[in-house]
Amino acid sequence: METQNTKNNIFVTLAIPLSIIIAALVIALAVFFSGGSNAGQVAVNQPQVPTAQQPPQQEGDLEAVRPVDAEDHIKGDINAPVKIVEYSDFECPFCKRIHETLNTVVENDSDVAWVYRHFPLEQLHPVKAQRAAVASECVAELGGNDAFWQFTDGYFADTTTGNNRTDQDTLIPELVAEIGIDETAFNECAVSGRYDDHIAADFQNAVDTGGRGTPWSVVIGSDGKVLPLNGAQPQSAIEQIINLLK
Amino acid sequence: MRSLISKWRYAAIIILVSLGVFTFVISIQNWQLISSLWFSDIGTLSQKLILTLTLYTSIGTNFTFLSATTTVLTSILFGVNIALLVYYIKKVQGGAKTAFSGGATSMGGLLSGLLGIGCAACGTFIATSILALFGVGALLGLLPLGGEEFGIVAVLLLGYSIYRIGKKINSPLVCEVT
Repeated sequence: METQNTKNNIFVTLAIPLSIIIAALVIALAVFFSGGSNAGQVAVNQPQVPTAQQPPQQEGDLEAVRPVDAEDHIKGDINAPVKIVEYSDFECPFCKRIHETLNTVVENDSDVAWVYRHFPLEQLHPVKAQRAAVASECVAELGGNDAFWQFTDGYFADTTTGNNRTDQDTLIPELVAEIGIDETAFNECAVSGRYDDHIAADFQNAVDTGGRGTPWSVVIGSDGKVLPLNGAQPQSAIEQIINLLK
Repeated sequence: MRSLISKWRYAAIIILVSLGVFTFVISIQNWQLISSLWFSDIGTLSQKLILTLTLYTSIGTNFTFLSATTTVLTSILFGVNIALLVYYIKKVQGGAKTAFSGGATSMGGLLSGLLGIGCAACGTFIATSILALFGVGALLGLLPLGGEEFGIVAVLLLGYSIYRIGKKINSPLVCEVT
């Protein structure tokens, strides 16, 4: 009887601490697997090169962000004190969400420039994410920077887009016609494959800077200081980051 | 349950644990920003604090509706679970077995809830990383909600755990005839 009581007492004593330890383990596991910090991300058996593009897990370095230049797709002044370099996937629903937010942010603040780079997650959005990225590049080639932004705004604004459910056979030609791009030249460009390397380079740069999913952004301040922005953050948080980096 | 909540000590446990779990979920979603911000000389202490607190509102922008709902529910239900467990252990001497199994169910619920965090369509899903480690990441694609089922399982497990502990608390303390 005494032994039974002692056993029960041990259970009573251990129940809460044990629960806390298990919780701590769960938490540690979650942080570990979520690749929480730039320095401590777990390297799982995924390719480091974007041959089979999927959410990467390796560590990143924000400083590895490729310098912004005139070749980039920029909304706002290229010399603005703060630049938001966004790595995006046309088929990601949260990219659609942040696209709308960043449009508002850039409209409201002339000290901010928004740079759009590609981060198509081929494993999650096979074919369509890449096809949309290529289409946007072809539109940029044939119509310039404004045409590129008209295309991206139009693509993300379309309520049917996202989660690889977009009817691209309808939407892309519609947008191309609306923007006034020559259809024949566009079709030639779209199948040429000449932007594949460029898109792969954007993807790799996203990975190098620590991007693990989309939308992934690196905010660069006037003095070169950088902060990451993962996911579709609220406008107020983005504005605070901008003010910190001005 | 009502009498439990009316006692400030247990109400405090519910609030603190719920807030702790919710803070943790928001933190792991924004860990890169939080760590970069706090471990740099960017901004003053108050600016860092305000920005960090602002990130709580990312529950409305950075989560799907289902994921946000299950995250909030998981946080609250886990808080209630812990308060009930503490109450039960204090009330019933030798109630360790129930407390232990209740604790295990709660932890299972919390774990499942954590797996349900993120956006499956954006590659930021915690479950994706964990399952990929075991080479079964593609399994998520077979689930109709792409893995958000984990959040629903969490709410169900935590609800069940509360039901079980509540039932035990309300049971009269009698010596059963064997």
